[in-house]
Amino acid sequence: MIRRFGTLLGLIAIIATFSVLRPDTFMTVPNWLNITQQVSILAVVAFASTIVMVTGAFDLSVGTMASLAGMIAAAAMQADLGIPLALALALTAAAVGGAFNGFLVAYLRIVPFVATLGTLTMFGGFALLVSDGSTIYGRAIPAAFGGFGRGGIPLGTIDGRAVLLPNLTLVAAGVLIVTWLLLEHTGYGRRLYAIGGNRVAARLAGVRTRLALLGAFVASGVGAGIGGLMLASRLASANPTQGDGLMLNAIAAVFLGVTLSQEGEPRVLGTLVGVTILGVLANGLTQLQIDTYVQQVLTGVIVVGAVAVGSLRRREA
Amino acid sequence: MPLRHHPETSLPPAARLHVRRASKRYGEERALDEAHLEVAAGEIHALVGENGAGKSTLIRLLAGVETPDMFDAALDGDVLDPSSPADAHAMGLRFVHQELNVVPALSVAENLFLGRPYPRHALGLIAWRRLHREARGVLERLGVTHIEPSTPMYELRPGDAMLVALARAFVTSDAHATPPRVYVFDEPTASLSRRETELLFRVIRELKMQNVSVLYVSHRMDEILELTDRITVLRDGSTVATVDTATTTRDALIHAMTGRTWQAFREPEPGEEGTANVTLHVQGLRNAHLEDVSLDLMAGEITVLTGLAGSGRSELLRALMGADPLEAGRVTLAGRTLIDAPRQRIDPHAAWRAGVAYVPEERRSEALWMSGDVRSNVLLPHLQRVTRFGMARRSLERREAAQWTERVDLRSRGLHQVVRELSGGNQQKVVFARALAASPRVLLLDEPTRGVDVGAKNEMYDLIRDAAARGTAILAVTSDLEEVFTLADRVLVLARGRLVLDARAATLDRAAILSASFDEGAVAA
Repeated sequence: MIRRFGTLLGLIAIIATFSVLRPDTFMTVPNWLNITQQVSILAVVAFASTIVMVTGAFDLSVGTMASLAGMIAAAAMQADLGIPLALALALTAAAVGGAFNGFLVAYLRIVPFVATLGTLTMFGGFALLVSDGSTIYGRAIPAAFGGFGRGGIPLGTIDGRAVLLPNLTLVAAGVLIVTWLLLEHTGYGRRLYAIGGNRVAARLAGVRTRLALLGAFVASGVGAGIGGLMLASRLASANPTQGDGLMLNAIAAVFLGVTLSQEGEPRVLGTLVGVTILGVLANGLTQLQIDTYVQQVLTGVIVVGAVAVGSLRRREA
Repeated sequence: MPLRHHPETSLPPAARLHVRRASKRYGEERALDEAHLEVAAGEIHALVGENGAGKSTLIRLLAGVETPDMFDAALDGDVLDPSSPADAHAMGLRFVHQELNVVPALSVAENLFLGRPYPRHALGLIAWRRLHREARGVLERLGVTHIEPSTPMYELRPGDAMLVALARAFVTSDAHATPPRVYVFDEPTASLSRRETELLFRVIRELKMQNVSVLYVSHRMDEILELTDRITVLRDGSTVATVDTATTTRDALIHAMTGRTWQAFREPEPGEEGTANVTLHVQGLRNAHLEDVSLDLMAGEITVLTGLAGSGRSELLRALMGADPLEAGRVTLAGRTLIDAPRQRIDPHAAWRAGVAYVPEERRSEALWMSGDVRSNVLLPHLQRVTRFGMARRSLERREAAQWTERVDLRSRGLHQVVRELSGGNQQKVVFARALAASPRVLLLDEPTRGVDVGAKNEMYDLIRDAAARGTAILAVTSDLEEVFTLADRVLVLARGRLVLDARAATLDRAAILSASFDEGAVAA
């Protein structure tokens, strides 16, 4: 029991520690709303990655895909194509990129690690090509687009300061609900888990495994694209590498979530816990003014520790 | 000449390998029951028996991979009690197994020396040139000159790969080790061509000249009669006869193996089987494992397909499911064309949708999603039916899953129990429930009762008969002759990819089926 929910207990311990060390600022509504906004982008990318990882594959290209999608949208807005068309172009590119990943993995049977390592580089290159290596910012980005990422729905005031429910948090919540419905409440989700559990058996039981895998990669690409748009909106700018770092944290979040599941498969609610751990850690350690390099080491230690405990549990089972 | 009247011939003076008593149980099942075996020095000795007679178990005991319940044996007069494969090797026993156990990515030379010390330079680095030279020498001893030692293993054809696996048994390790005294070959020719088989026979005869003993396990009667000096027959775990090859016949051996007399079977009268009820019509299937297979499955009839391992029995079912590619062949289901290879092919998805249900041979690796729950495993091919606009309808799912798991009398803690936690018999029931839930027109079963206990076995048989009574056409593969006669209305026998026998079960006996399995073509007349 302790081992199964060790990760959850870990999260509670982390929260308790910060609450004690920073009693005035950590356990407050504004700070928690702030955390949800801080993790929203990572969360969207991690939820989408969960869909691919359910099948036993994974997608390394989500970070550069996020960069590429943000870049395409920014370039389109710079060219005065309007926000709706810019978003549509970016998401279409993300879907096509995801489909390309799926084609490589499902139809050409390239190992996901190698296939998506290749497309990681490709998408990153496209992002640089689209922008010619430069950052798009300032007046090129419409105020409505930049404003969305910083805005939110007013909830009232605390101590005279307006408190907002961030728009990005709402987007992440929407993606969470859609992903949860897809994985837990559709026939397609059931098939994806079956593929992850036993691909051969799934195929012989009539699951079109290649098509299903292709779809999972498309979902992952689109999720990465949404994440990239959120990031560009929040920063009101796009540079060709700004989303690259999302990939490692997204995969770490999924693995943290896996430690919570009985059978060792990714669940999107587990991923939510993983994302929360990473977000709370970053927020709390920053408040404690701990050096970011040390933060990085601590984050790595916690991910490895949680996964190690999880694998010990499975060995005993 | 029935063999049981001559249970033993006089022993040659020098017994190289003498197994006096060997017993081994697996749970309730007696795999070996005081079996005995005597192989003389410089003798080629065959070990034969039906599937499950205990041949493999005896070899596993000799090889030290299995712990015996009782094992009283001697090698050249010394006690033989191998506790590990290395132990058996050190005593001078060499094994060539059916499975190749080669590493595809390594070269031929590296595979030959796998697990043995490689030749080394003074600094401890591998002496590649010497390794290749020694490898070439080993291959040449076998008369093999066309395989280059530096070739990666995966580039070899199956026959050549088998030759390398054979050659491995001839690698002499260091000088102090015991020289090989007994070679054990377990179905070595399964993937060899005739020419390669002759190469192997030459090597075996050469071993005999060097006074080395050979224990040769095979299903192929013609090979045994051609190659060996004496034959030991196992049946139900016990030795029933040891005979001189020169004085025996194929029929006498089959009689000894089955314990029954060979009877000519009656050909079905023409017109005895109408075409009115044909559910599945199969015409001229051909691929890597099948040669021109044609058959009809009738509604409500249980057709049992049998044959030796590698005869293509599982591959026929896989081809019908669209799991393996076909080069040619037509399949029509209830008059509709399902397959017309190579133009029109199907995948398992299309087969299920057309009303073909499938229980694969390997429950764990091919049928079940072990970490999934009972409900999901049962409904996997039928998700379309329990979803609306892609969304799962929980209550409908529960009802469907409950209905079919009750039909197969599944013992579980509930529909949400993970399949891994169920017993083998109950796991197989989950696979059955999945197939029956299709309300299939054709039910393909591959070894439907493998690894389940007797009680569950009978339940499976009832389910199969029940499905037939509802008008399903059933094609069941089994290697268990008891099962053939328990289930079959009609019996098909495959040998090396060809259908060699197609007859009503009532006209057959065990010997007729075995006879057809062993010697392809000989019985087809």
